[in-house]
Parts: sequence; C-alpha cells; structure tokens
Amino acid sequence: MGVIEGEKKVFMTGNEAVAWAALAAGAEIMYGYPITPQNEIMQYWTRLAPKHGRKFLQTEDELSAGFTTIGGVLTGKRAFTATAGPGNVLMQEPMSMAEAMRIPTVVVVQQRGGPSTATVIYSQQEVTLTCFGGNGEGLRVVYSTSSHQELYDYTIKAFNTAWKYRFPTFVLADGYQAKMRESLLIYDPEERGIEMVPTEAFVGKPGMPGEDRPPAHLRNTYNIEEELEEVLKKDIQEYEQMAPEIIEYDEFNTDEADILVIAHGVVFRSAAMAVRKLADEGQKVGYFRPITLRPFPQEQLRQAAAKAKQLMVVESAYGQLLKIVKDNLYGMDLPIHTLLRPGVGVTPEEVLADLKNVLEGRED
Amino acid sequence: MNPEKLPKRVLEAYIGEYASGKSENAVNRALELAHLGRKVTLVDLDLVEPCYTLRPLKRKLEEEGVTVLAWDTGEMIGLGETGNILKPEVRFCLRHPGDVILDIGYGSFGAQVLNLVEGAAEEQDLKVYAVINIARPMTGTVADIVDHVRSLGRVDGLINNSHLGEDTDLDFVKQGAQIVKEAAAILGLPVVATSVMEVLAPSLGKIDWYGHPVRVIKRYLPQAFW
Repeated sequence: MGVIEGEKKVFMTGNEAVAWAALAAGAEIMYGYPITPQNEIMQYWTRLAPKHGRKFLQTEDELSAGFTTIGGVLTGKRAFTATAGPGNVLMQEPMSMAEAMRIPTVVVVQQRGGPSTATVIYSQQEVTLTCFGGNGEGLRVVYSTSSHQELYDYTIKAFNTAWKYRFPTFVLADGYQAKMRESLLIYDPEERGIEMVPTEAFVGKPGMPGEDRPPAHLRNTYNIEEELEEVLKKDIQEYEQMAPEIIEYDEFNTDEADILVIAHGVVFRSAAMAVRKLADEGQKVGYFRPITLRPFPQEQLRQAAAKAKQLMVVESAYGQLLKIVKDNLYGMDLPIHTLLRPGVGVTPEEVLADLKNVLEGRED
Repeated sequence: MNPEKLPKRVLEAYIGEYASGKSENAVNRALELAHLGRKVTLVDLDLVEPCYTLRPLKRKLEEEGVTVLAWDTGEMIGLGETGNILKPEVRFCLRHPGDVILDIGYGSFGAQVLNLVEGAAEEQDLKVYAVINIARPMTGTVADIVDHVRSLGRVDGLINNSHLGEDTDLDFVKQGAQIVKEAAAILGLPVVATSVMEVLAPSLGKIDWYGHPVRVIKRYLPQAFW
C-alpha cells in the first residue's frame, strides 16, 4: 500500500488519527454526514482520499450514511463512517440492519453531550446507545479508546474484527479525544505484521446463484417467529464464541484493593493517574478498565472485583458504565461508590479527592 | 542579545494548518508583549473553534493584562457547529490602540476571515504569519509547506513551530527550522521565528541554528480543552 513508509512520529488531533488509520488500514470509501466533534475525520479523509485513490460520499443524513456504508460493504469495499450524538441515534437503524445481516460495518463515534444536540464538546453518554442501540440484542463490538495512539491502533483493528467475525464494529471515543492534540506513531499495519483481513463482495459474485454458488440471501425480515429465533440463536452463539477471542481490558494493582476504580475511555486516563498516585503513596488502590465495552470482560472484572473491598465507577455519564458493571457483577455483594458527571470531563484531581474521601471514611 | 525591535504598534495575524499551533503562538505573543508593559488586544477570529471562549483561558489572559475580544462561552449558541456570529467589536479590532494579535481559523477559509476585519487590507503594519509544524503530516515536507502557504492568500512570514508535544526534542525543532527555512526561501518569505517550548528553550538560546529569533512557548491551550 505504501501510504505510510516506516513508522512516523506525528502530532495531530484524534480525528486526524482516525482518518490516517482508516487510510493505512486500506479503507476504500468513507460515507458520512457532518457533525461535531467528528467533522475532521471526514475533512481529513477528503483531503487524503484523492491522493491515494480512495473515495468519499457525503450523504443527506446519518441514516443514509449508515445505509450507504452497508451498501459499500455489500459490494466488497472496506467502508466506514463516523458520527456523534444525535447522528449516532440515527445511525442505529442502519446498524441494526448490519447486525441482522451480519455486515462488517465500521463506525467511529466521537461522543458529544446529550440528550439531543446538547453540546458539541464531550461526554460518555453514548455508551448505552453504541453498545445496545437498535431494536436487537446488541450483537456488535465496541472498542473504547483513551488516547490518540489507541484511536489509530483500534481503528485499524476495527476493520479486522468486523471482517473476521462479521459483526458491526464501533470505535467509541469522545470530543476530547477528537479535538485534543498529542503525539503518536503512525505506521503501515502490514509492516508491523498486522495482516488486513481480506474483504469480499456479498452480492454480485460470479456464477449462477443456486448452481455455481449458494445464492446471496441476505435477510433482515422473516415471516414467522421461529425463523427469526433460529437465526438469532445462531448469531448469539457465534457472538458468544467470539467474545473470549476479542475481549480486551487493562488492570492495575487489583490484588487486595481497598478500592478498585472502574473507568473507560478518556476518563480512564484521569482515573489511572489518580490511582497510580495513591498507589505510589502505598495505598491499596487499583483500577480495571474495559477496552471492549461489548463484549464486556465479565470474568476478568469479576475476578478483580472478588479481590477488592469496594468499587468506584467513574464516568462522564449518569450511570451508563455503572449499569453495565452492575449487570456483569450480578450476585456479588460489594459496595459501589460513584463519580458520575454527565456530559462533563473528569480530572485526575477530582478522582483523587473522591478516592481519598472514601479511603478516609467520608462518604462520597 | 538584541531585543527584538518592536514597531510602535505590533499588529500580527496568525494563520496556518489545522492544529499547527496558531492559537498557542498568538497567546504566547500577546502575553510576551503584555509582560513588556505594552497594551495588547488578543482577538479570537477563529469562527470554527473559538478557543479562548472556553473555560478558563480567557479569564486567565485577562488577569495577565491582555484585553481579549471573544465571546464568553455562555454567550454562544451551538458552539463549533452552527457557525458563529462575529462579535461586533472584533470587526473593528484594528482600531484598538496598542498591539493587536489576531488568532485566525485554519486553512484558506480560515484566512479569509481577515476580509471581515475593518482596515485589514489597508493597514500597512499588519503582518500575517503562517505557523508551521512539520509534525503535522500535511505540512511535513518543503513541497507540502510551499503548496499550503500558497493556498492561504496573503502571508508575510513563516514561524517554525515544529514540535511533538511532550515528546519534542531539540533535534526535531532543528529539523523543522531547516525545512521551514527551505520552504521560506522558495516562497520568498522571511522566517520570523522558531518557537520552542519552555523546557527546551534554555538549551537553544535566543537565536536558532539558522539565525532565526527564538520565541519561548508556554503551553496554555491544553487548559482550553479543545
């Protein structure tokens, strides 16, 4: 491909990191509709694409952006889109279809404030939507990144996860990651030994359907309940089989923790700084960070939680990660403290102050 | 060292590639001039991402004696998305007495905002500087910089602002100075300065490897969130 020669240290925004990653991953076309804070993904893609023979289609809205992404994938293109907030809401209808038809779409979400248009700035309020949006069972993969390097790495990975397992795959970041500037290494995945999973057309294959090959019979509509149940059972089974292969998480100091902090995305960075500071001071404080929010690292969190005295969930939402955590810890009896800031950033100092309150016996 | 010979009024506009460091250079320049006891007005002309409006940078600049012409966050609607209304006093910013530093939105469309400023075309002392960071992938080579600067319209000088955030070392700044110098020669423009972060400044001194004045940058923009 030769988009990037060797490894190159660059200084850029998260949105640009996504555009470069998609380019390096061999994405052939982006479909999109502008919305802050993801605009520069589109903008950089449209600056880069013509130089590398790639394409872009601006659609009339996010419904269309999602459906055209599915259309692109059906013809065998490595296609993607990006959105945020109310755009992500609209995107759920096409992504439900992708779920139903097992279409390997890739969607990058830069969360903004909600509900509705709220702020263009930042939040972690699209966790429920991205993990479980649509009128189905949430059979999708959601990577929650926390840095520009991860945005680059996981955007590349998202294409491979999607095309290998054929579930819609999301890279979930936020307005801070989108707009913030930091340095990262960009690289050609093949040069790093990351093989890009080949793409193939779902429709229009050569040969006579039914004779030379099975017909491409892609369905999102069924006549009777049992037909649907049969398909869903198979999809759910395949999803659960895939889960252990793709689940990712990070943990620190989980042995005998007086408090185990649970956070994801950019908030994890604040949480980790606070936890490491207290750990340096000799406190028994650890963290657990889910990287895949769907499928969720349930066993790993339960093992870490089993060694902890109490938990603290920190997020820029009013309990969306908390709900997932509680669901995954069902049956375990542990106090859970919270630092919930819907639509607002969380600093390391704020996490530190709350942790100290809990450690010193003052309520949170 | 020779202190920079400053004109009676310093009138400077900072333009360039997205995330090239326009605002950081503009903020630092305004503070540098203010700390010399000069009267300074800093103007937010970035209609896409008006960053001084974001907490808490505007207040901090005003505390340091810089007059900031920018909306307060609470005065705005649909920040960054619906387009922004130019604050009326911004249009007449060049009529403010003293030094005026203009921070301008990115790219050629950003630079066109100068058309909205009363007197910008006629003002002889106004200098338009393009801020260049070679770590920005689309302004990484001499050829790319030349194309980029030519797309911007009027430019009176280049500023080498090459850095990698916290991972910057002097070698990288030097590489930037070399590349920006070559681009400037092709464009027939002066290199006005090499900007370097506070931590590296002591090892560089007042003049860089190629004789460009060195400006010391303290990073304020991380406080603006985005």
